[in-house]
Amino acid sequence: MGKSLWTPWWSYASITLLISLMTAILHPFILEVDLVNIALIYLFPVLISSVFWGFRPAIYSAIVAVLAFDFFFVPPELSFTVEDLRYLISFGVYLAVAVLISSLAARLKQQLLYSKQKEAQTASLYALSSQMSALTDIHALLDNVSRHVSQNIGAESVIYLPDDRNKLVLTHRSDDLSDWGKSEAEAVIAILTFEDGEAAGYGSNILRYSQGYYLPLKTEDRIYGVLALNMKELKSGLTAEQYQMLEAIGGLAASAIARVKLAEEAKIAHLSAESERLRTAILDSVSHELRTPLAAIIGSSTSLIESDHLFTSEDRMELLTTIRDGALRMNRLVINLLSMVQLESGMLRLRNNWCDVEDLIGVTLAQVKDFQEHRTLRVHLPENTPMVIGDEVLLEQMLVNIVSNAIKYSPDYSDIDIKVSVDSDNLRISVFDQGIGLSEDEYVRIFEKFYRASATKQVTGTGLGLAICQGIAELHGGSISGRRNEPQGTVMIITLPLKKRHEMYTIPEEKEQDEYE
Amino acid sequence: MNEQGARILIVDDEPQIRKLLKVTLHAHQYTIHEAAGGEEGVRQASLIHPDLIVLDLGLPDMSGMEVLRRIREWSSVPVIVLTAKDREEDKILALDSGADDYVTKPFGMGELVARIRVALRHVAKSANEPILKIGELTLDLAQRIVELNGERIKLTPTEYDLLKILASNAGRVVTQRQLLQQVWGSNHSESESHYLRVYIGHLRKKLEEDSTQPKFIVTEPGIGYRFLSRD
Repeated sequence: MGKSLWTPWWSYASITLLISLMTAILHPFILEVDLVNIALIYLFPVLISSVFWGFRPAIYSAIVAVLAFDFFFVPPELSFTVEDLRYLISFGVYLAVAVLISSLAARLKQQLLYSKQKEAQTASLYALSSQMSALTDIHALLDNVSRHVSQNIGAESVIYLPDDRNKLVLTHRSDDLSDWGKSEAEAVIAILTFEDGEAAGYGSNILRYSQGYYLPLKTEDRIYGVLALNMKELKSGLTAEQYQMLEAIGGLAASAIARVKLAEEAKIAHLSAESERLRTAILDSVSHELRTPLAAIIGSSTSLIESDHLFTSEDRMELLTTIRDGALRMNRLVINLLSMVQLESGMLRLRNNWCDVEDLIGVTLAQVKDFQEHRTLRVHLPENTPMVIGDEVLLEQMLVNIVSNAIKYSPDYSDIDIKVSVDSDNLRISVFDQGIGLSEDEYVRIFEKFYRASATKQVTGTGLGLAICQGIAELHGGSISGRRNEPQGTVMIITLPLKKRHEMYTIPEEKEQDEYE
Repeated sequence: MNEQGARILIVDDEPQIRKLLKVTLHAHQYTIHEAAGGEEGVRQASLIHPDLIVLDLGLPDMSGMEVLRRIREWSSVPVIVLTAKDREEDKILALDSGADDYVTKPFGMGELVARIRVALRHVAKSANEPILKIGELTLDLAQRIVELNGERIKLTPTEYDLLKILASNAGRVVTQRQLLQQVWGSNHSESESHYLRVYIGHLRKKLEEDSTQPKFIVTEPGIGYRFLSRD
């Protein structure tokens, strides 16, 4: 608008040139064409200048046109004197028409300019809003907002958000090097803005002489924070459009923050529902798994103490075995719970040792020996099985869990095969049993904590073992999965990463000797 | 020293565990002394000179490790430590600081009694017996000859050294670090702990019928190896 008022000199030059040219072309036809028509043709440059250059050039061109018309066409020719005084009225009307046209054209032009600006603003706001709707991280979001503010307003900005205790703190700065926004004075105005929900500071109704402009980030029902602008660099202040723009950005930012907050709250609600479900599952499982063996232990030991004389030595042994088994079962539960807690809390310090898989399997077989009954456990190992890096104790626990499951869920006198296979990157330990097979989706769910497949409900267990196994496998950078064994049963597959061949150590050659001395 | 009637000092703060150990070990003909804390344990050890100490590592007044260290300052009495399952590091530290063996709580009494027997016997045995006989295996330490069921087994020098250490500690756990130090004379380097597993594997292939079900050298995961004694 300032631009359209101060049209450059060349527009005036062009008008002058155009009117001179027209005069030169029209002058030879002075006798053939009626003067009224010529006068109308002279409206043409007025029209052009009002459309292209605005109000002042239009007035200028009207005056020049009147002068040229008067001088060259109105008798006496080549003189500004007017014979017929009625021409003066014509000049007046002519000027009035020129003024009207040019003001109309100028207004049209301004509207065009205005709608172009509006369009640019809308486009920029649209860009901001679509960028922000994709953001879920509050800091990226604030970064986006302040970038937009500096693009559109050209001022340094800071954003204050309330913390957990609803105390307003400086959360984001557009310029990390600047200290503006940190001081007590600025924070006080920000808090005022936050509490009142009205814009404050520079140019507003509240504290209008302060250096910053403070805008509340509010939606209809809540204030989410304060956007503050450092106006020091903007001597001329903000235009009405810029204020509107700021309002719009503020509104967008507020709704984006609200969205992120809502998402966070929803996540927390989901998590607490999940932990609630887990707590219930833990209580159910643990209380059942603790009470059953406890009942057996207390029952057996009290009968032994109170009515010792009633029992044969065989009965006595039976009761004692019950006590032992109950206690062992409780011990397994305690170990599982502890492992789970350690795995989940991340407290577990993984020891990275070389582990011989053959050795691990050997230890596992020794561990399950007492309850495998008449099942046959076969081991298939390739020649020169490479070692894996890991924590022997945890790997053993995982393998014992898997093999124990295979035993637990398969009939006596059946076969269990432990196969080790190796490719360039991984070592796989597969445990095949001929027991209960599960459905496809259950092979995914069995690794969830406290989940127990429906087919296994009659066998005691906590539903923790496989979750622990998965935790251990993942801790080692590996994985664990299950599938049906053909024709029946289950295959559990543990995959562990191998070190690259060149990272393995070669054993120094040594000769066997008959005589050592 | 006579295995029967050996004096055993139990250092444990839990009265239930002390009672259990006292009753069971007494039934096995041992004389039992008790201490309910670390300080008292150290004092009793110096007063009664027990033949063996069963030491709980989790004491309230003084860490079991400290008790072990104080006793080791003046005595080489066999010490068996009791630990909880999830304290692997403690076990290794205790073993490397001079404990003779460990039993993990909760434990079967049979296991503890076996460990006590082995520890007492190890002390009784004279240090330089020239020939070790363990079940079907014979080690002639003077001539470096190994025989299994009367048949000569050919071993490399490293395999022989490993077997010698394990067999002369038959029944007792030997930590990985002890093996590395005695065979390679080095501290714990990664490559050597790798070799150790490879050589144990080789030894098993030569001695065991089925190396996944070893009868001589069993692995104590995370701790070390134990050469099974035959009795």
